[in-house]
Amino acid sequence: MTDDKYRAPESMTLEGRVFCPATLAELIEAVEQAFDYRGDVMLELTSGVKVEGYVFNRYPSGPRPFLQLFPKQEPGTIEISYADITAITFTGKDTASGKSWEAWVAKKESQRRAEADQAEAAAKARGHL
Amino acid sequence: MAVPLSQMYTVAKYVLTQRLKGVKRYPLVLMLEPLFRCNLACAGCGKIQYPDHVLDKRLTPEQCWAAAEECSAPMVSIPGGEPLIHPEMPDIVRGLVARKKYIYLCTNAILLERKLDDYTPSKYLTFSIHMDGLREEHDLAVCRDGVYDVAVKAIRAALKRGFRVTTNTTLFDDANPERVRTFFDEMMELGVEGMMISPGYSYQKAPDQKNFLKRNRTRDLFARILHDRKRTWRFNQSPLFLEFLMGKRDYQCTPWGNPTYNIFGWQKPCYLLQDGYTKTFHDLLNDTEWDRYGTGRNEKCADCMVHCGYEASAVEDTFGSWSGFGRTVKATLLPNAR
Repeated sequence: MTDDKYRAPESMTLEGRVFCPATLAELIEAVEQAFDYRGDVMLELTSGVKVEGYVFNRYPSGPRPFLQLFPKQEPGTIEISYADITAITFTGKDTASGKSWEAWVAKKESQRRAEADQAEAAAKARGHL
Repeated sequence: MAVPLSQMYTVAKYVLTQRLKGVKRYPLVLMLEPLFRCNLACAGCGKIQYPDHVLDKRLTPEQCWAAAEECSAPMVSIPGGEPLIHPEMPDIVRGLVARKKYIYLCTNAILLERKLDDYTPSKYLTFSIHMDGLREEHDLAVCRDGVYDVAVKAIRAALKRGFRVTTNTTLFDDANPERVRTFFDEMMELGVEGMMISPGYSYQKAPDQKNFLKRNRTRDLFARILHDRKRTWRFNQSPLFLEFLMGKRDYQCTPWGNPTYNIFGWQKPCYLLQDGYTKTFHDLLNDTEWDRYGTGRNEKCADCMVHCGYEASAVEDTFGSWSGFGRTVKATLLPNAR
């Protein structure tokens, strides 16, 4: 059912943006943006490690705020404490960008057709048609 | 009759039991999303907007059964993505049938005819086919020509094999009421058991919360679609929910009525909004700040009239009092009464 079409006007994508939070409030906001983002992000940690994946959950309150992420290259999930995060880069493609109902309506027929053909070809290549 | 008596009895018994126990929040339909991968890219669909490695993730049959047991709702809706893509879907369905859950497997039907041999007709299993209108409207909505005809062929094949089949339709305020009514005629002529309709979810940043203009347009649309209802139309929904859509009555949302479980966990607060996840159903009920959501409480809920939040409200009205039950009987027998 296509019952969750977002009709909000297109907002600017965060794709490619880098957040280096200086305060706890900025960190909470940056993680919230990462949680709302429909693409992968790269988290730089205090240990120097970089983790890329999809942030699907966050717990901003409580004694130890943390987020949960599906790592891009590994199975399973990872929990990362907010306190360990030094930077967040929106590395992955914003899969929601340009995909709202309004954006679809505004597109020319030729562009809609091209996108539809691309989606069909991808589904065929996966054997899902 | 749209729904088998055994299902009506099971649901009625379950709801009355919850009320007699004094349970304030109980689930009615588990929204079980085993995957988000789809073989369509319908206009504006938010359910598939994830990176590939997320779209490749699947719930296991054991996870699906555990969620159904934990939640204990009598009905399970399986949307997605496209559920028939899941290689273990027949196992998932078999396990849910064994647990005597009434299943609505929501599908665009592209793969249905090919996969029918993997399933056994049962009073517990219904294929709910996504059909957003007549051929022109549906193929436009799903962004691919020919899908309507494939779905109709699959519906015929499934009905011939003895499966229960319903349709599910999402309508936005640009829908043509007369063409929607013609669509209802066509679906009934096909022989489906019933139809399910819902307005699409629409979220506007900073909506007009005071006047709810968008809601009024939605009510106006459904009033025009559902007025002077034909006796041949069978809706697989509460008649009070249909009256809600038409603006004849008002409800507050019941998001815990259709809890959602997917690869991320139990989704807060509802099928449409994604405000975080819990590990257990118990935590979903207890940790979600329910008072933060609903019309007039949250801008994201302002225009929402979707079935997954309000069908349960209508059911609660039916069983909440003798007058509610009376309203339901009247709405069932006299759908066109003013």
